[in-house]
Amino acid sequence: MSYEGTTVPRRDSPAGECDYCGHPFPTTDRLVLHKGLEHPQELDDDEEDAFLSARADEEDELRTLRLKALGALVLLYFGLLFMYAIFA
Amino acid sequence: MLSLPDSDTNTGASEEVHIESGPGSRLRHWVVSNTKLRLFVQFVLWVSILTLFTETVAAGNGMTLSKQPRDTLAVPRWLYLATGGATIGASALLASFVTDRAFIRYLHNWSLPGPTVDDWWTPIRWIGRSFGIVVLGLAVYLGLTGPQLPTASFTILVTFVVVRAGLPMLTYLGGNVWPALNPWRGIVSLLPAGHRTYPRELARWPAVGGLLLLVWIEVIFPVSTIPSILSLAILGYSAVTIAGAVLFGPDAWFENADPLSVLFRFFGAVAPVKRRDGKLTVKLPGSDLTDSDLITDTSDVAFVIALIWELTYSGFITTQTGAATTEALVSLSNIGVGAVQIRAILIYTLLFVSGYVVFFAAYWYAGVLSRRRTGTYITAKRIAFRFAPSLLAIAAGYHLAHYTGLAVSLSPALGMAILSPLSPPANPLTLSPPGWFEGLSIAYVLIGHLLAIWAAHATAYELFSSRLVAIRSQYPFIGVMIGYTVISLWILSLPGATPPYLP
Repeated sequence: MSYEGTTVPRRDSPAGECDYCGHPFPTTDRLVLHKGLEHPQELDDDEEDAFLSARADEEDELRTLRLKALGALVLLYFGLLFMYAIFA
Repeated sequence: MLSLPDSDTNTGASEEVHIESGPGSRLRHWVVSNTKLRLFVQFVLWVSILTLFTETVAAGNGMTLSKQPRDTLAVPRWLYLATGGATIGASALLASFVTDRAFIRYLHNWSLPGPTVDDWWTPIRWIGRSFGIVVLGLAVYLGLTGPQLPTASFTILVTFVVVRAGLPMLTYLGGNVWPALNPWRGIVSLLPAGHRTYPRELARWPAVGGLLLLVWIEVIFPVSTIPSILSLAILGYSAVTIAGAVLFGPDAWFENADPLSVLFRFFGAVAPVKRRDGKLTVKLPGSDLTDSDLITDTSDVAFVIALIWELTYSGFITTQTGAATTEALVSLSNIGVGAVQIRAILIYTLLFVSGYVVFFAAYWYAGVLSRRRTGTYITAKRIAFRFAPSLLAIAAGYHLAHYTGLAVSLSPALGMAILSPLSPPANPLTLSPPGWFEGLSIAYVLIGHLLAIWAAHATAYELFSSRLVAIRSQYPFIGVMIGYTVISLWILSLPGATPPYLP
């Protein structure tokens, strides 16, 4: 089954397709997240557990990303502050 | 079925909260009530941070710019541009902190129902379109017979101050009223129409071509200075529009091929007031920019980019740097063939087309990069379609930045031309906007981009199930937006000039 608006590169093998809409995904966790978000009514217990644990993992990774973003903001702020101190 | 208790009663936003909170109805109630609190705290926090950020930057630039001449910034120009770019980058970083899907959906679904307008729609449309027809007829007639001074001409003032500047502003700040005013639609509704079916594969390409052609005519021909020429242009436009609408039927023509109608429809997507299911609804500005049915074809993307590019281009050629560039290119192209005028027109056209191609290619490449970087199987085309509506906020910001000054300075002249269209005063009053208007323009450009950043963020969350992928997918688009901002702010900082070689 193919899903409108998606293509799989020839070298790639998708980790799986959504059982409900046919959307292919490159990794299992993205597939699990997709099922949990788009088809919550259709999930069985295993799929739901998988979704909750994928979400928890995602939350951890998001925390790391937020820290990085915060670092970038601080760098940007002080970078501009020094630039203004020197040039303006 | 979800195995959680009473999950079938959950819909939309609360569902996710539910899943997060796990089973237990007491716990669920606590989380739901807590979510509301969390939504509120987040909202206040982000709004205050964003305003703080934009206000300081805009105010800083505004103060330096208001010291009379535009070209002597107290801050070096590169630093001013870097600050503008950094504002966009920083707000994108800030937006990436908002990872709560329920909150994003809540903001974008928020609406206030207004009065029902369906009963009134037909009479309003008839009155509006009749009014439109009267104004159109008067504009053409007065352009040919009335005074030929631009600031006293009803034709020029109505075309440029009302249709070019005022109506788009009303559209993206309020709501789209063009369907109720469109005079050509009023005329066509009196004629037998729809002799052919509109070719589906043409999509909105005729409107893209039409928009680019209109802007090109505005640059090359003296339509904004000689009323009789503008009248001829309006007559030409009317002929094409009426012929097209009669041939393909008004619905298909004004939906797809008429540049003005498509322009107002797209700007209307940014607006807070919408007519939906016969009711007027107030939404947060730009909250419909995540709709997947707004952009359904490459030509729609091309139209949105054309909106951004035409404002950038007409800004650029009216600066000293733009004039110098044109002069240099025209003298470079002197190979002994063709008059200066002809070569100048060629150079203007070449700049117009090549810049447009660059802007379009940059956006399209961002879609390709977004797909490649995230490794998603969603096609680059679909990604580009979904992110394109956010660019409309940028276009609206540019438009406001470029046309507020014109609208304000010519509004007394417009008032006089409307009061006595046949014998306007010989020396009409024009206002010169104060210096802080420049600062306002910078603020408009930045606000447009901030809205676009937010719309792109919300779109990414709708498109991708993984929030990490959603954040990463935005990076190329943020890059393009920073590029557009820097170019636009650079143009705003350049001293103005009259474009050379043009009549």
